[in-house]
Amino acid sequence: MTEFTLSRRGFLTSACCLAAAPIFTPVTFAAMPGDKRFVTIVLRGAMDGLDLVQPYGDAGFAALRPTLSLTPDKGLIDLDGHFGLNPAAADLMPLWKAKELAFVHAVSTPYRDQRSHFDGQDMLESGGEHVAEEKTGWLNRALAVIPRSDARKAIDVNTSTELILTGPNNVDVWASDSNLGPAKDEMQFLMRLYAGDPAFAKAMDEAMRANSASMMAEPSGQRGEKITDVAALAGNMLKGDYRIASFSITGWDTHVGQLAQFKRPVQDLAQAITTLKATMGADLWSKTVVLAMTEFGRTVRENGSGGTDHGTGGCAVLAGGAIDGGRILGRWPGLADGALLDDRDLMPTADVRELAAAMLYRQFDVSAEDLTGKIFPGLSFDEGSQFLRA
Amino acid sequence: MSLSFPTMAAIRFGYGLRPGVAPPQTKDDLIGQVTLVANGVPGFPVGGIEARHTAILDLQDRLKQIRQADGDDLTRRQQRRLLQRRAQVLFQMDANARLMQAVLSPDGFNERLATFWTNHFSTSAAKSLPMRLIVPLYEAEAIRPYMGAKFATLLRSATEHPSMLIYLDQAQSLGPDSKGGMQRNKGLNENLGRELLELHTLGAGSGYTQADVRSAAMVLTGLTVDQQAMETAFRPQISEPGAHEVLGVSYGGAKRTRKDYLAMLDDLAVNPKTAAHISRKLAVHFISDQPPQEMIEAMSEAWKKTDGDLTAVYRAMLDHPAAWRDEGAKARQPFDFIVTGLRALNSGSGAGDVAAFMQAYQQDDADNDEMMAMPKKDAAPAADGQAMMQAPPSPEDEARIKRRKAFQMARALGQGALRRMGQPTWLPPSPAGFEESFSAWITASQLSERLSWARRASAQFAGDVDPRDFLKATLADAARDETIRVVSQAPNRVSGLTLVLASPEFNRR
Repeated sequence: MTEFTLSRRGFLTSACCLAAAPIFTPVTFAAMPGDKRFVTIVLRGAMDGLDLVQPYGDAGFAALRPTLSLTPDKGLIDLDGHFGLNPAAADLMPLWKAKELAFVHAVSTPYRDQRSHFDGQDMLESGGEHVAEEKTGWLNRALAVIPRSDARKAIDVNTSTELILTGPNNVDVWASDSNLGPAKDEMQFLMRLYAGDPAFAKAMDEAMRANSASMMAEPSGQRGEKITDVAALAGNMLKGDYRIASFSITGWDTHVGQLAQFKRPVQDLAQAITTLKATMGADLWSKTVVLAMTEFGRTVRENGSGGTDHGTGGCAVLAGGAIDGGRILGRWPGLADGALLDDRDLMPTADVRELAAAMLYRQFDVSAEDLTGKIFPGLSFDEGSQFLRA
Repeated sequence: MSLSFPTMAAIRFGYGLRPGVAPPQTKDDLIGQVTLVANGVPGFPVGGIEARHTAILDLQDRLKQIRQADGDDLTRRQQRRLLQRRAQVLFQMDANARLMQAVLSPDGFNERLATFWTNHFSTSAAKSLPMRLIVPLYEAEAIRPYMGAKFATLLRSATEHPSMLIYLDQAQSLGPDSKGGMQRNKGLNENLGRELLELHTLGAGSGYTQADVRSAAMVLTGLTVDQQAMETAFRPQISEPGAHEVLGVSYGGAKRTRKDYLAMLDDLAVNPKTAAHISRKLAVHFISDQPPQEMIEAMSEAWKKTDGDLTAVYRAMLDHPAAWRDEGAKARQPFDFIVTGLRALNSGSGAGDVAAFMQAYQQDDADNDEMMAMPKKDAAPAADGQAMMQAPPSPEDEARIKRRKAFQMARALGQGALRRMGQPTWLPPSPAGFEESFSAWITASQLSERLSWARRASAQFAGDVDPRDFLKATLADAARDETIRVVSQAPNRVSGLTLVLASPEFNRR
């Protein structure tokens, strides 16, 4: 075992430092059976899928979102003639072209009507059919049924285990040394929190004007650099014994001034994915699936303050060398009159749990029976799932 | 509208609400804490009081050996540095134990009083190396047992303790005309005499004169620390002979004894100015920066009636209607904020998750030495994939790194945060102790620090708690409608908890 560790270290050293002479022949990974990797990224705060992947080809989209919608002649990056990518995610385009990136529109958890972040995230991470039905995370329950998973570890890149990996199966938690500052969306809440208390409002105001590093969203790029720490840590661990990793990206709750606010978390997401790829290297990346998902989507119409409110149907992101990407997946419900849920939200046409199930099925041979019985109770899933073609 | 009694009692007179622990229901519950706990043993000094006395002697011996050793300076410096590090580790463990004591204790009022009195009779561990070991002992053996006693008893106990004598240079004070003073050609040090009148008893501007200060210092001569036994001693040969007049009362005579300064302390303890000064200070600490005059008078009256029985004085404070209205007029000081935050987050069984986690700080010395010697931060991996990648760590490395991370996080959430927020345990800026006013603690930089702490602590201990439930359990009826709204809309669980801990009502009391 020790020897194995040493040889792996030797391999890593040689693989990542071109100047170093290889000490061992790097066969360890490639030759190992069952070395697929799976990364989940929880996008907390309800990511606006319609802003990330904009249906500019839909008649009426521009009217529903007069200030938030873009077109290819206004900087939107065309993906397939109907959908376009938000320019803040431009760094992801090489992956799209290499078919290592896909977007799944109009997915949601079974959660409906209440639109609470906490309940929505609990559902997303616990994988249940109803609020508070499951107390453990679906990814943790998956560990128990992944064949030979005792040899495969999972990590949570955080300061403490997040719900998605919480449960009876052993998980390691690693904290990146970076202390992600408050996302812009949290700042809005703080302002409201102090609005009625002059002493605190004044202190907060001074702190913001002093641009104190611990409070303000740092200058552009800095927070992105930190998400790269998190992603690099995950990527490095996945080069070792770990097969599964999870971390979160916050900042998606864009009720106000979304045009400016949305950029930062999108850049974080793009950098997290590109950093994972760069850290893991081409060979390992080819065996990897990254799934980024959010608790629910946002309203189709923009609100009066240049933002959007809590919705239902959202968008998930798939990345990795193991997918057949370069496509928009899922069934697009359209934005026509009558097509919206409650006349406000994108209509969900698939369960995001089915997408997660498909990835577990494909990466780790988890049986359909386990997927619908133990991991995602109440889910319908079989080999015919559209997402197995991703 | 005033808050319910239990909420007010927990927030204003304790360290806030802890989920699963019933707050005080009556004034008797609060007063009962003080009388019941007087004989309790606090969680510090680590190892217990007896062992600490031994450790202090041992440290003195070693320092003496180093001083007297032949040998080159470098070796001696290294030896001294090792002693410093050990003392520092012990001190930090004590400080963490004090924090955890406040977090876990069901007797919040008693803990708050311990903080008040330790600050009233401030001594600082920064004074000298042995003081790192002595100051925690001082709080445990000289302050805590007497907080419900007569003020004279507490005053005597605090004034006579080596911690006070070292901190305020009493060991350097000799009667100029005493035998010992003349032999060594040394004289009076007024430090303790001055602070005794100005801070500990009568209060600044209460009418005593410089002559009173000097006389008080003269009466105190002879009171010193035995450097061998590290105990309080009275040495007649350095005591200024004759009688000395303080506030018109004469102390001493041809033959000087301990009784002289004890008589002075007893008189000062029941002086009406002392009663007013300390009653006001208690009211300012607990109730408001501008407490109502009639509350102070009621407390002073109780002082006078009972010859300074502190329990009666607390009772008078609690019996005044102003104790139960206008909540939130005070700012929580950093120690209060952190303890209350950790209490609120401390769910789980037994002593709770927070306690289990903060144990990471109480490592044995070897581990701590190793920790302290370690660089603070790993070089951050570069993101472009071109730079050095770390190989995955071995299991031993993993265990060590995990331990170190837990240690660092416990430090960051405890003593590290207190230092950054300007209230490091047992390290007051002056004999006057820490700042008291609202405006001193609610500032831009303070708020930044608190937010950052709230975020870290929430991420560490969020567990599966719903922020809406956390808000109810933590602030009960003290939660404002706007806070309830904002917290229920927070973008994620950690944000939700952060907002509770950062809310104005969580930072007021």
